[in-house]
Amino acid sequence: MSSSSPSGSGGDLSERRGIPAAKFIQDVETYLSQSSLDSNSALAFHQERLQQYKVVEMKLLAQQRDLQAKIPDIEKCLEVVGTLEARKGTGETLLADFEVSEGIYSRACIEDTDSVCLWLGANVMLEYSCEEATALLKNNLENAKASLEVLVADLQFLRDQVTVTQVTIARIYNYDVQQRRVKQVAPTAITAADS
Amino acid sequence: MMQQGKSSSSGSEMQVTWEDQQNINTFSRLNNRFHELEDDIKLAKEKCDNLEDAGNELILSDEEMVRFQIGEVFAHMPREEVETKIEEMKEATFKSLENLQHEKESIVSQMAELKKVLYAKFKDSINLEED
Repeated sequence: MSSSSPSGSGGDLSERRGIPAAKFIQDVETYLSQSSLDSNSALAFHQERLQQYKVVEMKLLAQQRDLQAKIPDIEKCLEVVGTLEARKGTGETLLADFEVSEGIYSRACIEDTDSVCLWLGANVMLEYSCEEATALLKNNLENAKASLEVLVADLQFLRDQVTVTQVTIARIYNYDVQQRRVKQVAPTAITAADS
Repeated sequence: MMQQGKSSSSGSEMQVTWEDQQNINTFSRLNNRFHELEDDIKLAKEKCDNLEDAGNELILSDEEMVRFQIGEVFAHMPREEVETKIEEMKEATFKSLENLQHEKESIVSQMAELKKVLYAKFKDSINLEED
């Protein structure tokens, strides 16, 4: 659920799924006077914002890893069900070696069958016909891929905000350095004129 | 990748426009995608090599029934079927590898363009190299 109110410059989103956008500053001096902040407070504010972004980034990256592990799993299940379906008409028994424990394998004779059992998680396993199983797995796969797409878009948005904030911090810092330099030069000029 | 533009010696009055910011953001996105692609290409190459080795082993062996991994189990399959499957997998992986490499080339050239633009404006105040 993202609000579409433009943030002034560029007409972009002002937030996306709870992540606030980093407002782009046209001019550092105007920004500092308008918000009546001095350089140090502004820097502190943006540094904190950056930390918050990093925390969200970690969370999103973890979610992305989970999804990226889940998708190959679902694809493997689909492959197995597909193979069973292909064998259905022939009446042959499928011999399969499966792992009982680490390094120990056992042989299974899989007769011609119409149904498979799917592990749904939370200690629940349900029996489905091959077609239903394929449909369910395909659905799960589509959902997982769609979630991953949304997640990737979120991450891109977040990284953009991180970059904007980093550039803002650099610009405020540079502006501050410049101001100090100007202040250093000015008093010396005055004393030279006085004496 | 991009360090904060600390213009120490020049102390230049570098104005950053929204367009510049967008260029920097785009460069950052491209760079991230570039690293992801490099990892994906590495995995795809390994998979290609493995399939190649498997194909060769199959030719050398003389067993009639071969155990082919589907999901977590090894199904007993006649040799020709396994050969066909390996060929199919090799083709799919090779095509995917080609696509990844094309995408990577396109990204590299886009990044080179952006580098030119950004270095032209910011010169020393920006660093776009790998750290």
